[in-house]
Amino acid sequence: MTEHQTMSDRDNPMSDTDSVSTTDDTTEITTTVSAPETAPDAAPDGAAESTRELPPVVADQVDDDVAPFRPGVGGWVARGLVWALLAWVVFALPGNFLSPFELGVSDVGHASKAAIFAIIGLSLNVLIGYTGTISLGHQAFVGVGAFVSAYVVVDMGLEFWVAVPIAAAVGGVQAAVLGAISLRLTGLYFALVTLAYGLFAEETLFGITAFTGGEGGKNVPRPLGFEDDYTFYYLCLAFLAAVLWVDWRLMRSKGGRALQALRENPRVASSYGIDVKAYTLFAFVVSGIFASIGGALLAQQSTFLVPKTFNFQLALIFILMTVVGGLRNRVGVVIGSVVFALLEEGTLVHLLHLEGILDSTIGLPAEFFGLVIGPILLLLTITLYPGGIGQQVAPIAQWLRGKKFDLHAGKVTEVEVTDVRA
Amino acid sequence: MTTELGIAIVNGVFRGSVYALVALGIVLIYRASGVFNFAQAEFGTTGLFVAYIGVELWNWPYWAGFLFGLAGALGMGLATERLVIHPLRNSSRVTLLVGTAGVALAAIGIQFWQSNEQPIRSMPKIVEGVAFQPFGAAITYQHLITLVVLIVVALALAVFFRSPSGLAIQAAQQEGTAAELVGISVRRVSMMTWGIAALLGGLAGVLSGPNLTFTAGFLSFGAGAALLPGFMAAVLGGMRSMPGALFGGLVVGVIEQFGNLSILSDVSGGGAMMLFLFLLVVLLLRPQGLFVRKAVAA
Repeated sequence: MTEHQTMSDRDNPMSDTDSVSTTDDTTEITTTVSAPETAPDAAPDGAAESTRELPPVVADQVDDDVAPFRPGVGGWVARGLVWALLAWVVFALPGNFLSPFELGVSDVGHASKAAIFAIIGLSLNVLIGYTGTISLGHQAFVGVGAFVSAYVVVDMGLEFWVAVPIAAAVGGVQAAVLGAISLRLTGLYFALVTLAYGLFAEETLFGITAFTGGEGGKNVPRPLGFEDDYTFYYLCLAFLAAVLWVDWRLMRSKGGRALQALRENPRVASSYGIDVKAYTLFAFVVSGIFASIGGALLAQQSTFLVPKTFNFQLALIFILMTVVGGLRNRVGVVIGSVVFALLEEGTLVHLLHLEGILDSTIGLPAEFFGLVIGPILLLLTITLYPGGIGQQVAPIAQWLRGKKFDLHAGKVTEVEVTDVRA
Repeated sequence: MTTELGIAIVNGVFRGSVYALVALGIVLIYRASGVFNFAQAEFGTTGLFVAYIGVELWNWPYWAGFLFGLAGALGMGLATERLVIHPLRNSSRVTLLVGTAGVALAAIGIQFWQSNEQPIRSMPKIVEGVAFQPFGAAITYQHLITLVVLIVVALALAVFFRSPSGLAIQAAQQEGTAAELVGISVRRVSMMTWGIAALLGGLAGVLSGPNLTFTAGFLSFGAGAALLPGFMAAVLGGMRSMPGALFGGLVVGVIEQFGNLSILSDVSGGGAMMLFLFLLVVLLLRPQGLFVRKAVAA
């Protein structure tokens, strides 16, 4: 119905002054020409009166519906092959199954770390990407999850499967408390509070010996059945899949739409009856829960936990990987997090056998590669490609979903984040 | 108890003078570019590393190394303005914040890389030795020099902002378009502001470095962390007031030292806890800052 009205509006701008019957004729002609499958008699008689208010944008969608792109047999085979290759990289390669390289145990350890970083990246994406609120203290959230889980497993002697929900709950509660107190502030000032909270957690909370084991750290055993690095990797993948699913469903819900609205413009959103503060707090809690789950897994992954791991630099790296990955783009955030997790100790450089080249040309040792290259990637991302890795891979992702290959898919002009008061 | 409080206050004031230097730079940049400059402390660490290279590795006289360090900080500040802030001038402020955090992290990465062979370094003091000991708190000449430099810098800035260049900066900060119309180059003013702020950061780094041994990221999260206290000092001054930032720095220094009192000796990281609680209280009760009479329209 809207299509008809817009059609008549575009083709006959004088329609509102004309008689009703004339307008109906025009509508019939245009619709039969450009959109034959829609029934022309669906247009009610009074359509002409409301034509002016409708945006002409709707007309563009009609053209897409006329000839939806369907890949041919060759196209489906090619897509299937790429999907299979991706599945092989994710599932088989780290487990040395059908792999041309002989990967050691430490390599699969890095793969688990990459999966955990992806969970943490998604957690930050909920906050920065969906609400536009920035957290500079995310290392504290991850750390709380790690230490709570370690405490439950080691000091209370409970199972890992009990520890993860407890860690998630504690993470959610601490986010709720911090958010309830400080979400009166927005923008840069809120970022400042999270920064202070991160340092406070790092120095004070994680310094409580009874809770964290103090400077010496703590040994954390892996859950039964997943002691092996290979099986543990699949456990991390399962958690990543669960977080991805929750994130996806959440963004499709009423709350998710509210978050998108309030990111665009908090004032307009609140005028439509969206409780901006409540929804931001909701996103903050979700982010805290995700981060705690990531932290709990991180504790199990490293099996040895020291408070100094969770420093401010880690918080900056979390932000880097999320922004470079591409805000609001799950695929991009996951890829970005994986890249930064692998960059951190130079694993990627080792895997690609680049350390000789880097060392001899610019004298950059592999372990500093991530530290030096990562921030430069960030600066390039925000100045040149605001959509991040998500923007770069968007054409391929679209193609894999059975759409036409479009080089300009997913274009973003700025890293959008809200900016209310500060 | 009185002695303990006395020690805390004296130490706090001297520690706070470094925070004040950082805070002055943060306020300057906030007024010019509207961004929380997370690279401000890294200007200091970079300056410190450059000064160290001059003094210790190339055996230059101390004053030459000192100036070399300041020049290094200045260069980094100007490069940041040109390469990151200027291209992003129309972006939202939080994007700019992420940009400055990226600059800080890049600087830290390069420092880690370049100091790989000897991660922990120490810079000699300008004048060795303890000047006097009020309440038994050892005040070195280095501390005294820092405080004197802070006062001189504050006076110099006050004079500068009444000179034609200073007035041009203020005009451009208040209304960029109008300033362009009367012939002020906003680009040059922005460069100048970042240059001055970087010099202030460099001073903070080169002056506070000799107090302790230093590593990469010294002023951001290392032993001499001044980034968060600097921000808190700036917030205390309402983000726009230079005298407010100065006194804010001293106040924050003292508050942090209160975390080391013996009543809190069971709590590790008492200083960080005091800072966090203090920031929360200030932001929730007086978000416009302590030293401003009325709220400034953001």
